[in-house]
Amino acid sequence: MKNKKIITLLILLVTALGLCVLGGCRADKKEAISSFSQFTEPGVKVGVGINCPEEKSLQEDYPELEVIGYYDTKLGYKDVAEGRIDAFVYSRRQLELAIEEGTTGVRILDENYMSNSVAVGISPVTEIPNFTERLNTFIAEIKADDTIDEMLDRWVVRGDEEMPDIPEAENPKIHLTVATAGTEPPYTYYRNNELNGFDIELAKRFAYWMDADLEFKIYDYGGIIAAALSGDVDCIMADLYYSEERAESLPFSDMLFDIDVTALVRDENAKSALGFWESVKNSFEKTFVRESRWKMFVSGIGTTLLVTFMSIIFGTLLGFILFMICRNGNPWANAITKFCVWLVQGMPAVVLLMILYYIIMLPLNFSATSVAIIGFMLIFGAGIYCDLTTAVGAVDSGQLEAAYALGYTNLKAFFKIVLPQAMPHFMPVYKGEITGLIKATAIVGYIAVQDITKMGDIVRSRTYEAFFPLIAVAIIYFILAALLIAIVNRIEPRIDPRKRSPELIKKEVEGK
Amino acid sequence: MIELIHLEKKYENATPLKDVNVTINEGDVISVIGPSGTGKSTLLRCINMLERPTGGQILFKGTDITDPKYDVTEARRHMGMVFQSFNLFNHLTVVENVMQAPMDILRVPKSEAHDNAVELLKRVGLSGREYQYPDMLSGGQKQRVAIARTLAMNPEVILLDEPTSALDPTMVWEVQSVVMDLAESGKTMMIVTHEMNFAKAVANRVFYMDQGGIYEDGTPEQIFDNPQRELTRQFIRGHKVLEISMDDAEFNYIEASAEIDRYCTRNEVPSRIKYCMHLVFEELVEQMLAVEIKEPRVLFTAEYIADENKADIVVLYNGEHFDPADSSNELSYKVLRSVTGDLRHSATTEGEYTNRIDCIISD
Repeated sequence: MKNKKIITLLILLVTALGLCVLGGCRADKKEAISSFSQFTEPGVKVGVGINCPEEKSLQEDYPELEVIGYYDTKLGYKDVAEGRIDAFVYSRRQLELAIEEGTTGVRILDENYMSNSVAVGISPVTEIPNFTERLNTFIAEIKADDTIDEMLDRWVVRGDEEMPDIPEAENPKIHLTVATAGTEPPYTYYRNNELNGFDIELAKRFAYWMDADLEFKIYDYGGIIAAALSGDVDCIMADLYYSEERAESLPFSDMLFDIDVTALVRDENAKSALGFWESVKNSFEKTFVRESRWKMFVSGIGTTLLVTFMSIIFGTLLGFILFMICRNGNPWANAITKFCVWLVQGMPAVVLLMILYYIIMLPLNFSATSVAIIGFMLIFGAGIYCDLTTAVGAVDSGQLEAAYALGYTNLKAFFKIVLPQAMPHFMPVYKGEITGLIKATAIVGYIAVQDITKMGDIVRSRTYEAFFPLIAVAIIYFILAALLIAIVNRIEPRIDPRKRSPELIKKEVEGK
Repeated sequence: MIELIHLEKKYENATPLKDVNVTINEGDVISVIGPSGTGKSTLLRCINMLERPTGGQILFKGTDITDPKYDVTEARRHMGMVFQSFNLFNHLTVVENVMQAPMDILRVPKSEAHDNAVELLKRVGLSGREYQYPDMLSGGQKQRVAIARTLAMNPEVILLDEPTSALDPTMVWEVQSVVMDLAESGKTMMIVTHEMNFAKAVANRVFYMDQGGIYEDGTPEQIFDNPQRELTRQFIRGHKVLEISMDDAEFNYIEASAEIDRYCTRNEVPSRIKYCMHLVFEELVEQMLAVEIKEPRVLFTAEYIADENKADIVVLYNGEHFDPADSSNELSYKVLRSVTGDLRHSATTEGEYTNRIDCIISD
């Protein structure tokens, strides 16, 4: 009794303390940053795009500063507005775009922090002969005839979003694969569900110049350099900054242009212009309606469904076949299967997928989607194999004996007697595996598959807002999972005899 | 029909069957009895190759079914097996349990299999339960479904491995009567059982198994009333007579009480006599002898004589002359007198014992 009281008191105390700390955090909003010199003050937090050169410079210039790398810079802008970080250091033009597109509560500093050189990253293992020389010649030419200045003026300064007509090579002898991000307006982004921007124009011009046909692959900045290093693409055109560190492993072309880097900071005087409902309506319009962005969600759903569905079918088959091979206890088959299952289940799905895509499957030149399907087939198959082993193990061995005694062969006894009884143990786990799989496929963006999560990211990069794209993606996952489970529920009575209705049993038994 | 030649089954640390040679003829109904661990079940399971023998041959209708090239499923189609633990197919309804094997293996059309199953379920007294699942049935009902399932394959021989051992005593009879009915129809059968009365009543031939083989093979009358060999005699007597010996203070009374119960169930002792037997043991051995004798050594024997519906009890014990009538424990003595018609104490020199009490419990 006394103990209980003490524990209750303790819990209350901890909760109160937690609330105080939380409240304190919010209450203790520091003064907004107005100059880079304030970066030396203690406790200042600054966000940067992950792996951008300014990340390193900031750490060198301000050793005390807490620098946080963002994969998704748009989330960084939001964090500035809400005071979770004090500033976000990034390219001036992109920060301006963010404000133009409706990010509120922030402003851009007048002074520049540094400037970044943008160049094309070149795959060290590209199969196109003399690639670097050709690319540099091309760059020199467009610099000489002011094409590049005209492009910059159009895309970056004026913000004209119209892609000029650039002819395609008529008899291409070379295949050029370009990695891009699709999430960085005005350089590489989706407009009306098509790639658009400075880098896209650059790639088109270069392909035409080189008499090549052009293919784009979409990567996160986290995986884009790995894609070039592995030879999956020939070059990276994605507003890629030159840095000495990057240049150690990745060759760069000659510099294209320089970008000013400045900081986005909280604007204390700003007030949200729109009312709550107005802003919700506005974001909804931006997320789904404008430029028919809902089509991107639809295509993402298609990809996610394709990957999930195929992985389920092939994975179930794979797991079942493995189980059948190992069923009668062949020591070799069991040892090999156990090892493979251990290997597949022992590493994160992302790592397995990247290893398959960049290392094992690279020479086979499979599409990213098929590699994703193969990867998840392996993961799902391993799970199914384990679940089947457990489920069949739960069936009493007397059942098998009774079947043998009636004259069943080993195989027939398994299919007619043991397997149907394993089903009630198997189906609930199977449904769990399916739900798990749908969610797990969210990582396929790492190997340039544009699934629903990736599409959400792309839309987010245009709307500068997290709410609708994220909620939409979450709801879509819920619906997809419910859909697949509903399909399984439809099949279940056919494979689990105890789930049959009395009418069905009567029909089956009496043959009427 | 079945011929066992030098049949041997060895496990890593036991050899239940050393050298079994026997011929089972058509129409034989064989009870297989014997102490635990003498290979009764193993013998049955070897005959339909659920256990592969380690030596010797089994000829089924002249074919050697132990030959590795022989497809044992062929022989198993003609041999039914009923298990101690029923092993009904839990995912199927009762009627499907009976229909499944003929359809899967004999390719009997569904309607024929169904009609046959309904007929068989009627025969074992389970009409109206066709669409129930096995887990809704009592043990006795399950075992009757299992018998119907076996009969559906129309086997030439039926092997029953302790068909009533897993049953509640109240359900033993319903299964036994179904088996009796089968035996009377002339089916060749082999039944492993611990129920001596049933073994005697159902069979026309009895195997007493001991020492790694069939120790004695004879008619029920020979084995039960006039056994020819020493171990058979001891076993049969052991079944008829209850012996409990106590030779230290650590004696387990609960185990002794359970033994009395087992004896009474085995020999179908009426509940009143069984109750009195418990009372005599508790009052005389537990309350008086164990308390009043130093280092007590007691031998309690009881034999139920069905014809006269009475039980003879003899209690032998050591120590100085001690007549319960002189005991200070008057209450226990009164209880004893009230349940036994007659309680006689005498001095004796049987073995190491010095005192003897005779009493009779009658209904």
